[in-house]
Amino acid sequence: MALTLDPTSTPTQALTPAPRRRTRGTRRDPSVMIIVAIIVVVLVLLLGLPMSKLVMAAFSAEGIAVFTGMFTNPANLRVVGNTMLLGLLVGVCGTLVGFLFAFAQVRLKFRGKRLLHLLALVPVVAPPFAVATATITLFGRSGVITSSLLGINTDVYGLGGLVFVLTLSFSPVAYMNLKGMLENLDPSLDEAASDLGASKARIFFTVTLPMLAPGIAGSFLLLFVEGIADLANPLVLGGDYTVLSTRAYIAVTGEFNVQAGAAYSILLIVPALLVFLVQRYWTGKKQVTSVTGKPSGRAELITAPTLRIPVLVLVSAWVAVTITVYATVVAGGFLKVPGVNNEFTLDHFRFVLAGIGSKAMLDTTVMALIAAPTAGVLGMLIAWLVVRKLGRFAGVLDFVGMLGLAVPGTVLGIGYAVAFLVPTEIFGVQILPPLAGGAAAFGGGLAIVMVFITRSLPPGQRAGVAALAQINPAIDEASTSLGASGATTFRKVTLPLIHSAFATGITLATARAMTTLSPIVFLTTPGIKIMTSQILAEVDAGRFGNAFAYCALLVTIVLAIIGLINLLLRKVVFRGLLRH
Amino acid sequence: MVSSVTDTTIPAAAAGISDIDAARLTLRGVSKRYSADPTVAAAVESIDLDIEPGEFVTLLGPSGCGKTSTLRMIAGFETLTEGAINLDGVDISATPPNRRPMSMVFQSYALFPHLSVRDNVSYGLKLKKISASRIAEDVDGILAIMNLSGLADRAPHQLSGGQQQRVALARALVMRPKVLLFDEPLSNLDAKLRVQMRHEIRLLQRRLGITSIFVTHDQDEAMTMSDRIVVMSKGRIEQVGAPSEVYRRPASMFVADFIGRANFLDAEVEAIHGDGTATAAVLGDSLRVPAHPDVVVGDTAQLLVRPESVHLSTGAAEKSERATGDVGRVLNTVFYGSTVEYEIETDSGNLIASVSDPVAADVLDLQSVAHVRVESDRAWLLPDRE
Repeated sequence: MALTLDPTSTPTQALTPAPRRRTRGTRRDPSVMIIVAIIVVVLVLLLGLPMSKLVMAAFSAEGIAVFTGMFTNPANLRVVGNTMLLGLLVGVCGTLVGFLFAFAQVRLKFRGKRLLHLLALVPVVAPPFAVATATITLFGRSGVITSSLLGINTDVYGLGGLVFVLTLSFSPVAYMNLKGMLENLDPSLDEAASDLGASKARIFFTVTLPMLAPGIAGSFLLLFVEGIADLANPLVLGGDYTVLSTRAYIAVTGEFNVQAGAAYSILLIVPALLVFLVQRYWTGKKQVTSVTGKPSGRAELITAPTLRIPVLVLVSAWVAVTITVYATVVAGGFLKVPGVNNEFTLDHFRFVLAGIGSKAMLDTTVMALIAAPTAGVLGMLIAWLVVRKLGRFAGVLDFVGMLGLAVPGTVLGIGYAVAFLVPTEIFGVQILPPLAGGAAAFGGGLAIVMVFITRSLPPGQRAGVAALAQINPAIDEASTSLGASGATTFRKVTLPLIHSAFATGITLATARAMTTLSPIVFLTTPGIKIMTSQILAEVDAGRFGNAFAYCALLVTIVLAIIGLINLLLRKVVFRGLLRH
Repeated sequence: MVSSVTDTTIPAAAAGISDIDAARLTLRGVSKRYSADPTVAAAVESIDLDIEPGEFVTLLGPSGCGKTSTLRMIAGFETLTEGAINLDGVDISATPPNRRPMSMVFQSYALFPHLSVRDNVSYGLKLKKISASRIAEDVDGILAIMNLSGLADRAPHQLSGGQQQRVALARALVMRPKVLLFDEPLSNLDAKLRVQMRHEIRLLQRRLGITSIFVTHDQDEAMTMSDRIVVMSKGRIEQVGAPSEVYRRPASMFVADFIGRANFLDAEVEAIHGDGTATAAVLGDSLRVPAHPDVVVGDTAQLLVRPESVHLSTGAAEKSERATGDVGRVLNTVFYGSTVEYEIETDSGNLIASVSDPVAADVLDLQSVAHVRVESDRAWLLPDRE
């Protein structure tokens, strides 16, 4: 009956899932009803209001004009085509890179697997445009590699550069996805095929690949959505290649036509939501069909050079590129004009730390520190209600909570701008003052904190659902039977048991909140400085050194906060356990 | 290690839990439907049950018979579709589970893995806002009773299965529940420990006089622990009665078959007598046997004979070639050590005979024939229907 700290480790007696039963009786519990009511209100504020206002704005006169113009105006049509092509290419390339890494990691025999794993995940912590900026420095018109080293004149701005940067940024998603699937493939299938006389290559093409098909398709779809939704990289690197997100951005910030921006974002949200729904359907089915238990053994690692050498060469090449790009980010902050005048200097850091940069660091950190624990608690509460307390309503709540992940950041930002730059009224009665914009309370900081919460809610919620599903519902019932109300049970039993998921949730929430850009650019005000939007400003102004210095500081802050949170949670929660 | 309850010198009073006031629990027309679709059978169908103060009642039945649903409705984890549950005359069916004066012992024990034994046991008391000294006193008392005193600061995973079981029981008992509920609490223990825990639970329950409801699918558990057994099938109560009654006078063939092992012999009812017996033609003879009130003259009926009430004798039958009348043929023998079991083919159907304390030389050969005699006062005549 050991306390399972890691949700993936072997569950023991107390945590063994028993036959599931809905606890219908506890629905009367007033404390649970209050929690449900609060969460519904919060979710309506965070997502319901912005999304419904966005839809209304999109179908206003200006918005409709965009829709009708879509088919008559070749420029607009090209924007849609550009977006789809970008998504398609990013989906294919990112999945391919992710698959190569996952395959090497799980199936090939070589040294340094842990290192490869870490390198594959580096892009997760880095702010989105760090890669784009580094790519310009390395491969741009006066790039270190293309111009100085190879002496060729290339144009990195446009589709090619975008695909490269987005592939680099998002391939970890595919890698994690496919690695998990490869590890869970039952090796006895391979052994059976091998027994029947199939060669390794034949097994790969006739057994492994078909079994992975859902994972490959799922990764492709996820990357497709990430590709079409990204705003930061197309802004920095897009050049003339306009996509829907940049078009919406220009509409809102350049043409001051929020309705048109809303209309463009509606076009973005449709494929994103479709993919989200397909994913949910698939993972829902997977729980029924393909989770048959632990693999019956460990697959024999592949040593055959015909497969090993080409895969490892490709992986090493990509690793080299990754390292170069991120080394540029780190080093760039210390160079006068990165790639042009490579003299060592601390000017950029001085500029960032002494100027508005220090205010941006403070503002960003404070807001993330408010948002992350809130999102963490909210995610755990939703997970608890979804797994334990609510019957049919659970799916709806889970879906709404996860929307923060499905809705592209650009769309969310425009939704917030539409909803909260003005007072919220119901039937002409003002119920909320404006929450965004310089004139709002806290200099518009409230809306930014809300965006942070919305964006960082889903990872915690997902981790919470997974952890809770491992805990026998009888433990909750035991607490109830001993006289505890629903809220008491959550505080005294559930939360301590899922604290590691909680820590993961808060950690991911912090990282996501602090590195998010696309929704923020629509909400920044003169009073509030956010690091990511400052970085964008520096990149726009061509001051790459300052941007790199910002990036380095941002990553440092994120890592420091993650470390601190883990340390704190571990100390508080583990004290009681380690005594024994 | 486990003998605490049997020979403990600590009286229950010292533990502060002697003042449990046993309650009367009444179920009236209790039904549970999980589906609104009327073609789907109800999980529990209109159950009436009276449980006396201090009584130990077992809900027994195969899986899916509704016994667990019934228990969970009593605990409040499931709502009633119809009916009422009264505790000492007060309807509690609308009371949430955390406000019912009952404690439950779970199949998985459901110990809080992040709390020590002491914190597990004091969990419910702390919610009651009782003074810390009183809590400590109660917890120490119950831990002493359950022979867990030395383990108070252990984490649940550091305990053996039997110890975990006793912590779960202590956690429930310390609340002084008016009704103690058990949801198959012994099914995770190994066979020997299970027998021991049956004994412990029953002794403790008797001493505290606490009204208890015990759900199990194990008929041995039900037989050895209960004051009364409630046999359930398909959401309905088949029979309520003392263990001996349920065993010897089952209300239906289902009960006869589910409790213990049963032989059913085809019988013709020849006469019914006023004293609850009937004469029936079976095994080529007319036997006067105790009979179910629903048995009717002229009908075919089934004679229930427990394997230990079948006697075999060799002798005159050895010359007989065919299995007719009271002569049967040995189809199979199984040697268990303390008993030997025979499967015998007769005119009235195949039956199992159990002979205790066998000697190898006396074991009958396969295909040999023997006289079959039924102990008629231990048989039971049932109407011939399901």
